[in-house]
Amino acid sequence: MAIAITANSADLSEEDGLRADLYDMLGALLSRPPSRELLDRVTGLNGDESDLGRGVAALARVAKATTEKAAETEFNALFVGLGRGELLPYASFYLTGFLHEKPLALLRTEMTRLGIARAENVYEPEDNIASLCEMMSGLIRGRFGTPADLGTQRSFFNTHLGPWGGHFFSDLEQAKGSVLYAPVGSVGRAFLEIEREAFRMTA
Amino acid sequence: MGDKTANRRDFLKLATTAAPVAAVAAATGTTVQAAEIEEHSDSYRETEHVRKYLDSARF
Repeated sequence: MAIAITANSADLSEEDGLRADLYDMLGALLSRPPSRELLDRVTGLNGDESDLGRGVAALARVAKATTEKAAETEFNALFVGLGRGELLPYASFYLTGFLHEKPLALLRTEMTRLGIARAENVYEPEDNIASLCEMMSGLIRGRFGTPADLGTQRSFFNTHLGPWGGHFFSDLEQAKGSVLYAPVGSVGRAFLEIEREAFRMTA
Repeated sequence: MGDKTANRRDFLKLATTAAPVAAVAAATGTTVQAAEIEEHSDSYRETEHVRKYLDSARF
């Protein structure tokens, strides 16, 4: 089992590495049903008494207790569903009430500017929560070119993720179908709060 | 600006070490990728697939 550890690449500061790791974890859990391998790695996590720490600790406990099959059923009920899942994790939906709306168009323009493309064989609109987490991580790590400076990260966050991400994660925490994904919601909500606060400090 | 950046770094260090999740997920998400740069040559394009293949073949 080879795990790519790019978080410690020389020019990434400790806190930026931790931010990118959190975005990567959220992206991995939200983009498809988690594999047993991913669940096992999550099981090994721990956290302190902060909101984020408690969320991660709860996630580790639930990940240990769940099965790959149960996680897949839950993922599908939440995000895929019959017709639609319980939640619609898209910026356009949260900001306008409809899919494929202006927030998606704005995001696509911004992606072109930043050199980001939708992966091949992915047909989901790009303004879904998992892709936005991947984009934040990629901007921090420089996956799409050179690492994005703080101003670029802040503007991307404040435009595409900040205005609705917290609401989505809060919905995920409370969704009827959430067991494994309830603590994912707690982690996401706590982390985006930290991000918002941190970006405010440089504004 | 220097002070602000330092404050931000201290804040983040404190807040995110609450729950380090290093290496839980590979840092190579699957839904987005770097946009491919249009090469002028029409004979060969190093697409993401080609790059992956070359990586795996250790060229």
